[in-house]
Amino acid sequence: MRPFKYSTINDIKSATNRLATNDNARYLAGGTNILDLMKEDVERPDELVDISRLKLAAVQPITTGANKGGISIGALGKNTETANHPLIRQAYPLLSQAILAGASAQIRNMATNGGNLNQRTRCPYFYEVSMPCNKREPGSGCGALKGINRMHAIFGWSEKCVAVHPSDMCIALVALDAIVNVQGPNGQQRSIPFEDYHRLPGDNPEKDNTLNPGELITSIHIPRNNFADRSYYLKVRDRASYAFALVSVGAALEMNGSNILTARIALGGVAHKPWRAKEAENFLAGKPATVENFRRAAEMEMKNAMTLEHNDFKVELGTRAIVRALSQAMKGGKHEELPA
Amino acid sequence: MSEPIKTVGQGINRVDGFLKVTGAARYATDYPVKNLAHAVIFKSTVAAGEILAIDTIEAEKAPGVLSVITHQNAPKLNPNGGLRGGGLLQETKIHFHGQHIGVVVAETFEQARYASRLVKVEYSKQTPRTDFEKLEKEASTPKDKDKADIVRGDVDTAFSSAEFKLDVVYETPIEHHHPMEPHSTIAVWEGEKLTLYNGSQIVNGAQSSAANTLNIPAANVRIVTPHIGGGFGSKGGQWANLVLTAIAAKMVNRPVKLALTRQQMVNSAGLRQRNLQRIRLAATKEGKLTVLAHETTTHCAMNGEFVEPCGDCSKVMYEVPNAKIAYKVVPMNLILPTYTRGPGKATGSFALESAMDELAHQLKLDPIEFRIKNEPARDPLNGKPFSSRTTVQCLQAGAKAFGWEKRKMEPGTNQHGDYMVGYGVAAGTYPARQRDSSAMIRLNRTGKDIKATIELAASDLGTGTHTIIAQTAADGLGIPVSNIDVRIGDSALPPAAGSVGSVGAASFANAVNDACIKITDELILKSGKQFPVRPMASALMASENLKEFQTRVDAKPSPEADNYSCHSFNANFAEVWVNAATGMVKVHRFLAVTGAGKILNPKTARSQIIGGNIWGIGMALTEESVVDPRYGNFVTRSFADYHIPANLDIGTLDTIFIDEDDPITNKLGVKGIGEVSIVGVAAAVANAIYNATGIRVRDLPITPDKLIRKV
Ligand SMILES: Cc1cc2nc3c(=O)[nH]c(=O)nc-3n(C[C@H](O)[C@H](O)[C@H](O)COP(=O)(O)OP(=O)(O)OC[C@H]3O[C@@H](n4cnc5c(N)ncnc54)[C@H](O)[C@@H]3O)c2cc1C
Ligand code: SF4
Repeated sequence: MRPFKYSTINDIKSATNRLATNDNARYLAGGTNILDLMKEDVERPDELVDISRLKLAAVQPITTGANKGGISIGALGKNTETANHPLIRQAYPLLSQAILAGASAQIRNMATNGGNLNQRTRCPYFYEVSMPCNKREPGSGCGALKGINRMHAIFGWSEKCVAVHPSDMCIALVALDAIVNVQGPNGQQRSIPFEDYHRLPGDNPEKDNTLNPGELITSIHIPRNNFADRSYYLKVRDRASYAFALVSVGAALEMNGSNILTARIALGGVAHKPWRAKEAENFLAGKPATVENFRRAAEMEMKNAMTLEHNDFKVELGTRAIVRALSQAMKGGKHEELPA
Repeated sequence: MSEPIKTVGQGINRVDGFLKVTGAARYATDYPVKNLAHAVIFKSTVAAGEILAIDTIEAEKAPGVLSVITHQNAPKLNPNGGLRGGGLLQETKIHFHGQHIGVVVAETFEQARYASRLVKVEYSKQTPRTDFEKLEKEASTPKDKDKADIVRGDVDTAFSSAEFKLDVVYETPIEHHHPMEPHSTIAVWEGEKLTLYNGSQIVNGAQSSAANTLNIPAANVRIVTPHIGGGFGSKGGQWANLVLTAIAAKMVNRPVKLALTRQQMVNSAGLRQRNLQRIRLAATKEGKLTVLAHETTTHCAMNGEFVEPCGDCSKVMYEVPNAKIAYKVVPMNLILPTYTRGPGKATGSFALESAMDELAHQLKLDPIEFRIKNEPARDPLNGKPFSSRTTVQCLQAGAKAFGWEKRKMEPGTNQHGDYMVGYGVAAGTYPARQRDSSAMIRLNRTGKDIKATIELAASDLGTGTHTIIAQTAADGLGIPVSNIDVRIGDSALPPAAGSVGSVGAASFANAVNDACIKITDELILKSGKQFPVRPMASALMASENLKEFQTRVDAKPSPEADNYSCHSFNANFAEVWVNAATGMVKVHRFLAVTGAGKILNPKTARSQIIGGNIWGIGMALTEESVVDPRYGNFVTRSFADYHIPANLDIGTLDTIFIDEDDPITNKLGVKGIGEVSIVGVAAAVANAIYNATGIRVRDLPITPDKLIRKV
């Protein structure tokens, strides 16, 4: 591994200052992603600023402001603690399910919420310095575009990059209209709607998100909602656990009698950012919650897909996954167990 | 003295279990060698071409670096010394992506790895031959004479006139062994003498190939490998890393540790090659097989040939008058393939046993009944009688235990809510062999306490070798297992067979048993007495008032076995649940019924069997190493991409052993289980998926996309 400086800080200001003075410094939270990338020589910071001592781990109700009644999740809370927090389990089960669908118990115990948002793609070309990758090395070409792209995007990609964002947690967060709170080097704070937080690759795939240099995620807010009884996170993957999604769906429904008042559908494993299926959502608003409508909504969304050589299956799989996630949400959103 | 309790056949705990769970068992890189330097290999980033220049100046200046070794300064080695796969830094030619092209030695691993990235290499690149789909047409008959065509009867005529038949191709991908312990070595020179701590399935083989490659006498090389963190064939023949560690240690004049990373494993220690297996199978309407042709096309390396014997199961499983086994191979710019658990049989049985299922369906026959109808009386290949054969027993016992009668004959008709449920069966086999092994027994008595030390250069991959040796010795000597010290995994000990090809247990246990007989005979002779009942060695030590006694035996297989066809057999049963919406498959229940002669320890044996079953399930559903043909590099380089099954993928696993007494195979009747445990597994799962869904997937692994593409 390249020699690098390691510094610990105890307050947000010192953290953002370190990054403001050194372009080549990075935050170190749980380390489950950035350390792996450094070992593979993909990330090459010359300084790691360990932010794990910051008091930003709490999960707590929001008591003031526009999102009063919602919940605030600290950037440095561990994925495990967040998923298992009673308030999250009761009021935001979609988030809990999504987090628990990701990685392994050991990794979730280390991984932080902020780190989960900023984890980098799992594209195998990105991970191997001898292969071309515009995200790792702008201008070197996209290895996946004409390569092995079974795991890659079907929405919103560019010729420069066809990678997907790997997070499960973020699929729930985008579905729930979360807000990312950040603080910059001069102490200025911003709140970024989750949908605007991650970006599409366009001509700059090296940029995963809309953070400005040095900005630190402090917390994530989720507005109060009425989805707790009808939400479901479905992850389709090559093995039952510890695999990234082929396609995943975060679905949430609020009913008005037998009709859908609001539907939220977000897709993972399909785009460079957590993907909101807005067309499907709009179609379902006001309609009866029938499998037939779910299917029409899903097809409406998936018809816009642009597939690559090895991932055309994601269209059919995505369609089915949307239908199934919505159906499971209607049934109360519990995971099924096979009979013994 | 009361008759000692027999321990052979008892499921006693592993004698090395305590060491393992407390972390005291030492694997290759765990030895506390002083003054260690650390080495990191760097690899070719092109798959074909020539190294024009290597610039190591910056790397040499990096902190902590002791030496950078490339073909420019490496000592001359013998490339034909017995190490597999090349990469010995003796040439500029590049045969595959990831070929070793140099080693950095530094004070720490991190420093060595950093410096390895400062090395600049200039290549002349050639277009790599890495697209099997295109090159497959160029494949030709292998040089290996074991892979010459075998033909019986007239396949083409019989096939063309057959009423019930099948002509299909089954595909299996490249797989990697990926043992938990990646290949790693510590090399220590003391003058001319070299000690190599290195996971070695064949201890004496590692010793001779290291010595031959280094051009030094074998007596100067000692291999130490009491515990191995898995190998599955990849630590049978050794690879360049073994000797590169030795030359690094020589060049820096210090002990050196070299451990490959998981990512480096994909092109350092072999692989299971991709196979296209064309099967032609035909039967009469009564269900008697008339044709079985099994033709395999595969790839090998540019710098070596290896072809796994996919047709082996087809040689022995069924009675069939017209048969053909054939191979074709094409060299590619990939690392040399090698033996991988159930070599040829794991993959070959997927093709054969899937085809049997397909034809049974055509014939509207139960697949178990179909197999039993075609059970051979003798080995169809050579006419030899089987020393023992349990296929029918395995199938019948398994059917009963598994509840086979609940299977629906018509596929796709067993729905449970969102799931489609299916049952599958597949049989399998693996040869049973004993190999030459020597063993030394030392007895020591203090008062009433008698201890035995058993020494032989056997190896323990985690399978339980220590334990079965202790049990065999305990019974043979009349000493409790707790008083037996098993010393293995050291080439300084009497030479022994390897833990490969399921010969380990039979070879080690028979050698130790022979040594027990010999030491007892010698003690009787020494006593000069006549005994009405043959006494145990332990009793003789006491009655003759001996403090120490020792003997050594050089055990050999009996030539009698050559007159018979000796094999382990099994039958595998799978119940799968396929999610109709997502195509995700769960193997809900799996049962392996095995006839493998005497089971020395049912507990460690069960672990062996379920380990093979789990890999077989992985082979069926998840495991695949994918090459990007443009670069010749793998895109699946870590466990995030190379999917071995996780706990949640595996349902209930059950194991049944058929009681079998086979003194012909070898004296103790031990047949071996490590390899057969994976044979037939993937086919059982694939057949169950067909039964559940009506979809026949002929290319592994059966991932959700393949199922939803067809539903
Ligand atoms: C084998 C494996 C399998 C996995 N499987 C899954 C999966 O199935 N689904 C899934 O969702 N995830 C998966 N993960 C990813 C895992 O969720 C992430 O690695 C983890 O969430 C990252 O969190 P961390 O705290 O360890 O981040 P770090 O590694 O510490 O940091 C990651 C990045 O985020 C930046 N960062 C961290 N905190 C902040 C902050 N507060 N403000 C600004 N920047 C910050 C860091 O600078 C760094 O660039 C897997 C990981 C591994 C290793
Ligand atoms: S898809 Fe993106 S991350 Fe992958 S190789 Fe192309 S540019 Fe790199």
